[in-house]
Amino acid sequence: MKRSWLITIVSVVVMVPLLLLAVSIKENKADQQAINAVPDIKKLEPRSSEWGKYFPRQYDSYMKTRKSDDIKDVLKADPALVVMWAGYGFATDYNAPRGHYYALEDNINSLRTGSPSDAGSGPMPSACWTCKSPDVPRLMDKNGELDYFTGKWARLGGEIVNTIGCADCHDNKTMKLNVTRDYAKRGLDAEGSLKYADASHQEMRTLVCAQCHSEYYFKKTEYTDDKGEKKTAGVVTFPWDNGFAAEQMEQYYDQRDFSDWTHKISKTKMLKAQHPGYEMFITGVHGQQGLSCADCHMPYVREGGVKYSNHQVGSPLENIGSTCLNCHKGTEKEFRATIERKLERKNELSRTAMDVLAKAHLEAGKAWELGATEEEMKLALQDIRHAQWRWDFSIASHGSFFHAPEETLRVLGSAINKGQEARVKLRTVLAKYNAATYEAPDFSTKEKAQQIIGLPFNKHVDEKKVFLKGLREQWIEEGKAKGIYDAKSREGMQFKTSYN
Amino acid sequence: METGKAMKYVATCCVVAVVGLFAFVVNESKMLSYLSSDPKVCINCHTMNTHYATWQHSSHRDRATCVECHLPQDSFINKMIAKTRDGYNHSLAMTLGAYGDNLRITDNAAKRIQNNCISCHQEIVSQMMANSELYHKEGGVPMGRNCWECHRSLPHGTTRSLLATQNNLGVKEL
Repeated sequence: MKRSWLITIVSVVVMVPLLLLAVSIKENKADQQAINAVPDIKKLEPRSSEWGKYFPRQYDSYMKTRKSDDIKDVLKADPALVVMWAGYGFATDYNAPRGHYYALEDNINSLRTGSPSDAGSGPMPSACWTCKSPDVPRLMDKNGELDYFTGKWARLGGEIVNTIGCADCHDNKTMKLNVTRDYAKRGLDAEGSLKYADASHQEMRTLVCAQCHSEYYFKKTEYTDDKGEKKTAGVVTFPWDNGFAAEQMEQYYDQRDFSDWTHKISKTKMLKAQHPGYEMFITGVHGQQGLSCADCHMPYVREGGVKYSNHQVGSPLENIGSTCLNCHKGTEKEFRATIERKLERKNELSRTAMDVLAKAHLEAGKAWELGATEEEMKLALQDIRHAQWRWDFSIASHGSFFHAPEETLRVLGSAINKGQEARVKLRTVLAKYNAATYEAPDFSTKEKAQQIIGLPFNKHVDEKKVFLKGLREQWIEEGKAKGIYDAKSREGMQFKTSYN
Repeated sequence: METGKAMKYVATCCVVAVVGLFAFVVNESKMLSYLSSDPKVCINCHTMNTHYATWQHSSHRDRATCVECHLPQDSFINKMIAKTRDGYNHSLAMTLGAYGDNLRITDNAAKRIQNNCISCHQEIVSQMMANSELYHKEGGVPMGRNCWECHRSLPHGTTRSLLATQNNLGVKEL
């Protein structure tokens, strides 16, 4: 009897703390579960503000890319470009890039994308959206890649309504970095030195950028859709089969007899280098040392106890303290001076190349005018094609002067050489037609240059304004109706272009 | 005798209940996991999320786990005694909710960590130790200071509030 009582009392005494402990553990587990809940973000959610609810720091810093909002009219600064791009959209409008926040806006506002009046008009194909919006992977996932790459730019205006954002690089469940454009994976695999499947996290911190900051062209691809209809897609393709160097891609395009456009004055079958940022970066010392884009363009910052990578992607020079000086000795001032000098070196050679190339085009134009034959012009035009390609390749990625100064200057050197070779050949042709002393007209301002190439600039602007007030507004409404438009992505945005 | 029989019955039930409850607690609290030295065990409870996340983003991540700094490394017995002591203190604090947002280390634990700093960084600190023994005989700790009084952000950062690392993906490995 006594023993029973004793056992009962001891049991109850033991039970009380055990019960308390059990309750506390249960509560704690519920808390832990709430804290660790996977963010409820839809697959390929195009609205960055939805991601921002769970990742406020990353989102806020990403939104700060709106601070990079200056329009720098590059054609005004270097009018030779107008002549070099005669017959191509770039001669109409070309600005230095602004922050990711403006990527889509600038694509739509640029005179290059023209002024479509409906889904089937306008100068550009749908592929021109490819790097501007997380709506692109969403559409590719929904309708297939080939469908996305079919038709005109204006066909998808009501679907592509958000600028570059979270879903372009992140998996919605794990936030892991993710290349959302398959053509980038195909390009890497074709080149072969880094297969996509083998990429480490550190390499992914470069590859998510490389899916857009690379050289590409629109490869004509025939296919049959679900309804059995034959269609042709212009698929974004990286010309990396022969390698990453300017000459290797030049060979790639020559082998396929590809050209982006035929020059209006010199009749050269031209190549337009896009922005081979990745290809240049990996040849430079930082790339060789295994650094990633994010190491300098998205440096880590600390807020309280939280360390995160700054999503205000921009120039590392804004933040030398948390970029360069992590690894290097020296002062901010010294770094600025060193980098400025690198830029000057590039500009010096690039300006020379542009002058040579613009003159070569005009001299070729004169030769045609005087009755030169295709046979006489063939070799000179080949030189112009290669020269301009190399010039463009070396500078089009903007940062190349820093990422890979040696490679940039090497390729620029070969561009100048090829350009001058073309001019020597052209001089012989001109002499044959009694124009040995011909001098190219003055193209020292954007207006003069556009006049020389016969570009009706004001007409383009007027048409664009009609488009912006009409179809463009309609696209936003369509996006809202579909529930994909993120109003926050354009809140308080000012209309800034080179023509207003 | 009737009550005696009933009491026996009650006592048996109580014992069964206690054993059952104990088994439940063992299972729910993942009690056996505490015998391991995996850092993830320390975030069985969310209280340590901040400390786990800050450690995971620190240079010590690939070099030292939680217990390699926080428990004595000199003998297995000392290690287990310390583990039991910490485990008891922590369960008590968790159950009674007797802790704030800013946790502070006990003197006992600080001493262990200091010893562990020294034992890993022996080569670099041996001269300092020798000097301090010559000139600053004071208490058990050389110069009366701990490493982290100067190396303040190691390894948990300077802000260790339990609220400091919300939205941190590091702890989502569970």
